[in-house]
This record gives sequence, C-alpha cells and structure tokens, in this order.
Amino acid sequence: MIVVVGVSHRTAPLPVRESLAFAPDSLGEALRRLRAEAGSGEAMILSTCNRVEVYAREEEPPAPDALEAFLCAYHRRARAEVQPFLYRLAHEDAIRHAFRVAASLESMVIGEPQILGQVKEAYQAAEEAGTLGASLNALRNRSLSAAKRVRTETGIGRNAVSVSYVAVELARKIFGHLRDKNVLLVGAGKMSELAARHLVRSGGRATVLGGRTFARATELAAALGGRAMPFESLRDELARADIVISGTGAPGIVIQEADVEIARAARRGRHARPLFLIDIAVPRDIDPAVRRLGGVFLYDLDDLRSVAEANLRERRKEAAAAEALVEREVREFLDWQKARDAVPLLNELRRRAETIRRAELDKVRRRLGPLTPAQEEALEAATSAIVNKLLHPPTIHLKEAARESDAPEQLSLIRKLLGL
Amino acid sequence: MSSHVYLVLTLVFYAVGALHVLLQALTRRRLFLTSWTMAATLVGFGLHTAALAQRWTEAGHFPAVGLHDGASLMAWTMVLVFLVISMRARLEALGLAVYPVAFGLVLVANLTPVVPVGDPVLRGLFLPIHTTLAFFGYAALFVAFAGGILYLVQERELRSRAPRTFYYLIPSLERCDTLSARAIEVGFALLTLAIVTGLLWSHAVHGRYWTSSPKEWSALVAWTLYVVLILARQRTGWGGRRAALLGIAAFAAVIFTFVWMNVLAVPVSARTP
Repeated sequence: MIVVVGVSHRTAPLPVRESLAFAPDSLGEALRRLRAEAGSGEAMILSTCNRVEVYAREEEPPAPDALEAFLCAYHRRARAEVQPFLYRLAHEDAIRHAFRVAASLESMVIGEPQILGQVKEAYQAAEEAGTLGASLNALRNRSLSAAKRVRTETGIGRNAVSVSYVAVELARKIFGHLRDKNVLLVGAGKMSELAARHLVRSGGRATVLGGRTFARATELAAALGGRAMPFESLRDELARADIVISGTGAPGIVIQEADVEIARAARRGRHARPLFLIDIAVPRDIDPAVRRLGGVFLYDLDDLRSVAEANLRERRKEAAAAEALVEREVREFLDWQKARDAVPLLNELRRRAETIRRAELDKVRRRLGPLTPAQEEALEAATSAIVNKLLHPPTIHLKEAARESDAPEQLSLIRKLLGL
Repeated sequence: MSSHVYLVLTLVFYAVGALHVLLQALTRRRLFLTSWTMAATLVGFGLHTAALAQRWTEAGHFPAVGLHDGASLMAWTMVLVFLVISMRARLEALGLAVYPVAFGLVLVANLTPVVPVGDPVLRGLFLPIHTTLAFFGYAALFVAFAGGILYLVQERELRSRAPRTFYYLIPSLERCDTLSARAIEVGFALLTLAIVTGLLWSHAVHGRYWTSSPKEWSALVAWTLYVVLILARQRTGWGGRRAALLGIAAFAAVIFTFVWMNVLAVPVSARTP
C-alpha cells in the first residue's frame, strides 16, 4: 500500500513548510533513517518550497502514523504543532496525488514547469539511497510519463504567468524570434534586469542607458554582455532599438512622444519594423501617447499583469483537459497494479496443476511400460489439454477479479478453494 | 461512382475542418484535435482528387469552366497548397482561413449544376495550362491574403493589451508578414504566367491579345497592385500593417477576376479568353 504524508502550500503557511523541509544533501541520510524508524519497505521524500511530502510503501496493516512521527522527530518539532497542517493519503488517493503533483496540477501556479524536475530528483535521491523498490519505481515511471503527456498534449504550461516572462513572450509574438534584436534598457532596476536576461538568453543584444549612476549601468551591461551608453544618447539608441525596457526611478516621463517619433523617423529604411516598449516603472517612464504611433507597441506594468492573468485563465481552461488525462493515466496504473496482484496466484495455480499432471503421467508410464514416441506424444497432448481447459475459465476470471474493488477478498477466497 | 458522389463525400470530410474552426471560435479555446482534422482533410483531399479526375473524364475537357467546376478546382488547389505549407511548417492558424473557405467552395460546387459545354475552344492545351497557373496563383495569393488578415488580427490583439483567443492561436506578427511576403512572390510569378498564357490563348482564338473584358482589367489591376507591393517591400523595407492592407486590397481584384470568369460570364463564348 502506498501512503503519502506531508504539508503543502494548500495546507500550511510558509514557516511550517520551511521547518519541515529537507536539504537536498541530507535526503539520503533522511531516507535511510526513515526506513529504519518507520519500517517502510520503500520511501521517497519530495521537498520543494511549496511542499514537503513523504511517500512510502507500507505493509498491511500499516503502522499507524509512523511517517508523521518520523517527520516530526527528524525536524525536532512537537507533533501537536505540526499535526493540524499535515495530510495523509493512502491507496488510490496517494497514487492520484503523486500523479497530480508531478503533472503540476497541485502547484501554486498551475502548469509551472519546475515541479517535474523536482519530482524526478526526489525519485533519483531515493534510488541512490536504496529506498526505491518495485512499487515506488512503478509509480515513478507512470506518473512521470503522464506528466510529460500533460505537458505536450495540453496547453497547461504554455503561456507565461510572470511579468518578466510575459514581456519576453510578447516580444516573441511581435518579432517571431529574438536573435540579434536590439534590447535597450533605460534604468538598471531589478525587474528590467530580469526581463533583459531572458531576452539576451534568446539572442537579443543589450544596451544599457546609464542615468545618475553610470557605474551601475556599466556593471549591468557587462553582466548582460552588452554595452553601456550615457543617457544623452537616448534618441540615437531608440532609433536602433527593437525592444525598450524602461524602469527608472524618475518621478516623471523619461521617454517623450517626440523622442519616439524622431527615433522612428530616423530609421526610415527599416520603417516597417515594430518597436516594442515595456514600461515597468512606477510612476511611468514612457508617455502613453506613443501608443498612437504606427508600429509601436507599449505595455506598462498593469498591461503585463493583465496579460499574465489572461494567460493564467488560459491555463485553467487547459487544466480541465489535463485533469482528465491524469485521471485516465491513474485508472490505467491502478488496473495494472491490481492485475499484477493476480499474477503470483496464477503462477502458483499453473505450477500446482503441472506438478499433478507430471506425477500422474509418471504413474501411467510405470503401469504401461515402454511406449512408442507417437503414443508418448498423444499422452502429453491429452493431459496438457485437460489441464489447460480446466484452468482457462479461472485464469480469465482471476484477471477480471483483480480489477474489482473487492479483489483482495476474492483472491483469498480463490486461494482457499484451491488449497493454495 | 460518378464525380457527384465523390464530391459529396469530399464535402463531408472537409466539414470536419470547418467544424473545427467553428468550434474554436465558439468555445474560445485551443483545440487539440488538429491531427484528426488534418487526417480528415487528407482523406477529403483524396476523394476530391478522385472527383476531379472523374469529372475530367465526364466533361471531356479540363474541369475548370463554370461555377461548379471552378469552385471545386479552386478548393482543391487551396487545400493542396495548404497541405504543402503544413508539411514544411507548423502553421495551424492558416487552417482558420483555409478550412472554411475550402468547405464553402465545395458546398457551392455541390449545389450548382454542371453546365455542359461543347465549345471546341476548351479542347486544346491552353485551358489546362492557363487555368492551372491561374488557380495555383490564386491559391498562393489567398494564402498571402490570409496572412494579411492574421497579421491585422494579431496586431489588434497586441494593441488591445488584453489577449484573447486569437492572440494564442495566431503566430507572431513577423511570421504572418513573412508568410504573406513569400506567398505573394510565388503567387505573383504564377499570376504573371497565367496572364501571359491568357493573352496567347486569346490571340489564338480571337486573333487579338487584349479583348478588354472586365476580367482582363481586374487581372491587370491585381497584377499592378502586387508589383507595387513587391517593389515597396524590396526597396523601402515596407511591410507590416500597410503591406497587409495592400495585399488584402489586391486580393479583392483577384476575387473579382475569379468570380467574373466562373460566375458572371455565363455565355460560354464570353468566358473563353
């Protein structure tokens, strides 16, 4: 039976999650301790900033709350303090949960891509610690492949939901690719740096315009592999730029409509090329009137946020398709697991029948004396046919019964009846 | 089976694409049945090819005269061009334009009677050569037109700063613009050849290159607009919104040429070159 115990952003505030988190390099030791203390046959620990979960295979009947006890003891927390935030899922629920977590359906930002890598690493750590057995390994294979299907077959992770990524995505919607696009940074704030980094990674070339603190501009330009220019060259740089990110702390408008108009006129030869202006300053840096100019796209912070929200709504629509896909994969996994439960019984049954057949054949041979090869063959065929025909219906029934919900009871009844 | 049966079956399969686009517009979300729609369109295209081959045998001449044959052949050419483009690049959004139009044209073909024509003028090689060039030209120019529309819609989405379905469906402005530019280059070359063969055909039949019929004029207008567009793009780096608008305007002239040929010019004698 697979069990999961843990806390997540849905059940516990950050301080509680932090206090229960496992450092990546302590995972191996923690897993070995877990197996020794809780007596779980197999175990895996998933620890991210949004969730801490212990997955384990427990024998029937399970030791009540051994995992909870371990989690508290390991982090030296009192049970009573942690208990209200913990959830415990078992059987089908635990398996469904594992699938949903890997598919990013349980994430704070639905469809975020990091979780898949984190889950992979968690299984990897368990494998290295030697606590990953057949059950958890099967869960790993199935849940990860389901998660990959969700990513490729639904649009759950398609659209950016953070402001800086939205800016990059909009740039792609305008320019197609960003190779050799000139990115102009006006002001060297944290957020403009983040957006610029994404753009440069996609092939953009950065220019940083320095204001009062030119040293900061030079530093940032070096970090981005670009060049720094004094603020006075704004109009020239605007004329070269494809993408402008403005994020100064200035109290008023920094880029006037006239600046943009002149810059547009200066690049007559490439007139058709659009100009994408991103104003992430509060108060705003760029005169909103530039929106009227042809080929100019201006987005301020609110616009970027509204795109991010629209993207999130788009993701939620896709989540329904992802939910359905995960549910199908979970059902398949459960069926497979149950069918697997019937396999040992089937093998035993076959072995038993074969032993009886051999024994009876030997008796007959002794009584009849030497037989011709043809007679020998006929005898083999006849007895095998009897065994196969007798075993055929129970074999089918067993496989079917294994899928039913009361499979354990049915299987044990069959065992009794057949004296196995 | 007669060509009619094939054409009805074609309509059924093309309906999948049209429904796909309709559902997408109504539900306002990306559908993930693109591969099924593509498969249905491929089957439809096979049936359509059979319908045209059958029709060619039945008519005894290249099936491109009159509304029934013209609409059917036009749809076939568009779908072929769409399939070729789809093989080279993932451009689902182009289906938004091609699927409904192909369905509409085949529907028209299904609803209009076959006009029997016994004109000996249609027996020669000019008909297949001239119409093949013209129809592939029209199809390429239709792609350019669709690229222009997609550009304008995407531009509006980006300007609204509140993206809706089309923002997600349509590729980047740059891609729409490039699609239009390439399609116009190909379409323009074919249109030029079609006009030249048309003039030669006219000369062979009437003894005159230019008969001053409305479709000759509209073809010339379209041709001129495309020349302007291509030169503007090459010389001044024109593109984007204005190129999209001009491409759309030029395509109106193309539509007129097609409609005049296959709908309005009913008497066969007037329809021949």
